[in-house]
Amino acid sequence: MSSLARRRATDYTVKVVSTLFAAVALLLLAWILWTLVIRGLPAMGPHVFTRITMPPGAGGGLLNAIVGSLIQIAIALVVGTPIGLMCGTFLAENGRNTQIGNAVRFVNDVLLSAPSILIGLFVYQILVMPFGGFSGWAGAAALAVIVIPVVVRTTEDMLNLVPIGLREAAFALGAPQWKVVTFVTWRAARAGIVTGILLAVARAAGETAPLLFTSLGNNSWSLDMNSPMASLPIAIYQYAASPFDDWVALAWAGALLITVGVLTLNILSRLVLAKMK
Amino acid sequence: MNFAPETSIDIASAVNRATAPSAEAKIKVEKLNFFYGDNHALKNINFEIPEKRVTAMIGPSGCGKSTLLRIFNRMYQLYPGQRAEGKILFDGADLLSKDLDSTVVRSRIGMVFQKPTPFPMSIYDNIAFGVKLHERLSKAQMDERVEWCLRKAAIWEETKDRLHTSALGMSGGQQQRLCIARTIAVRPEVILLDEPTSALDPISTSKIEDLIDELKQEFTIVIVTHNMQQAARCADITSFFYLGELIEVAASNEIFTNPREARTRDYITGRFG
Repeated sequence: MSSLARRRATDYTVKVVSTLFAAVALLLLAWILWTLVIRGLPAMGPHVFTRITMPPGAGGGLLNAIVGSLIQIAIALVVGTPIGLMCGTFLAENGRNTQIGNAVRFVNDVLLSAPSILIGLFVYQILVMPFGGFSGWAGAAALAVIVIPVVVRTTEDMLNLVPIGLREAAFALGAPQWKVVTFVTWRAARAGIVTGILLAVARAAGETAPLLFTSLGNNSWSLDMNSPMASLPIAIYQYAASPFDDWVALAWAGALLITVGVLTLNILSRLVLAKMK
Repeated sequence: MNFAPETSIDIASAVNRATAPSAEAKIKVEKLNFFYGDNHALKNINFEIPEKRVTAMIGPSGCGKSTLLRIFNRMYQLYPGQRAEGKILFDGADLLSKDLDSTVVRSRIGMVFQKPTPFPMSIYDNIAFGVKLHERLSKAQMDERVEWCLRKAAIWEETKDRLHTSALGMSGGQQQRLCIARTIAVRPEVILLDEPTSALDPISTSKIEDLIDELKQEFTIVIVTHNMQQAARCADITSFFYLGELIEVAASNEIFTNPREARTRDYITGRFG
């Protein structure tokens, strides 16, 4: 009886402690979000989306940063997704337990956890120095290097969840491997693969360090991919540390914008996942 | 009939007794050895599968019966480290030869697996997928083909109003009959069934057994089963495998009532396995 009482007490204690720590973690998150909303919302307004960055006191917005971010992320996605998708597919469909597969998987894991500033320096070495200047292309390339390992990893994981039996059933009908992959395994794993791509976008959207050495940032309106290009994270980095109240306010607005964007992507990916199941 | 028995087992007379008028061999296995890496899984198998008959392969787990089935449609080639030696003649061509294209072999020798494996698409597309691999059909012809094979698989009535809904929403028994329909749709000559009812309830099982009886009018059927009643009910010929060897082949009514080999008798009376 006393042992039963003790077990119940232990059970109760563990439950309370774990709930408490979960609450602390949630509280921190809520605090960050709350601060963002409190500081960011008042700074929001049509001018954020209609005007470009301007000198302090001139009533500028973030239009060029928003557009610059969208362009660089879009290009990173267009370049990075097919590479990541095909690489992940190779690992899951042909690279299981092979030497080359294990090597690729290892390198990808290293890339996945590499500090993003290193990626910025790497692209600086190969795309900025040789071509004589910072550029939107270099920024997009750096973001692509961020996107690729995320997509590789999620694609491989999701394809590994597809039962071997499903592949064999498709082979048994006389399908060549490329049709088995495109019509059956990709389809079976598509929700997870799409989620992985959305998460990669979310990751790329918030990166500052790789852009510092590549697209640099630009305070005027520019769609020229060959010259420096503005982006939200860099604008935030630049404005948040400035002594001007209107710039700091804009930094908060930009931070709120990115957070809402990433949050929307995450929720969207969950919805996609739930709907396809 | 042109049997050239490499073995003491008199397949020809067994086939004759089982199924007058006698059937030609559709698949002829000659001196087949099979290896999973270093593991010698099938040992010197000589075996004939008669055309338009049901041939059952029974034996305890690990005896090599599924392995043999998976050699017939070259499933083993998907896995490096698995290799076959010997000859398997299928309408005169050697199934083990590299000259034969696997996709063509598989379109002529279809396979249904133990677990139902519907593709994540509509019932209609599940069938169209396989057909489109080998033929170009108009929409009307495809509709016709889909109906034809679903009728053959005795599942048309249950599916005709939901052809364009996901196949994943069907019951296990329906999914398995869809998989059979999908295999028939490609119009193979041989259908391999790898324990097709072991994941199904008794009612679905009996539906599939009835279906097998229907299908042997048109197709050569090879079934691997752990259920001896099923072999006795469905198969014209039954073969018993043990530890990678083919022990006995005979007409089903004979092997289950009067087996020649002691090991066969011990297995079917449940003394091991």
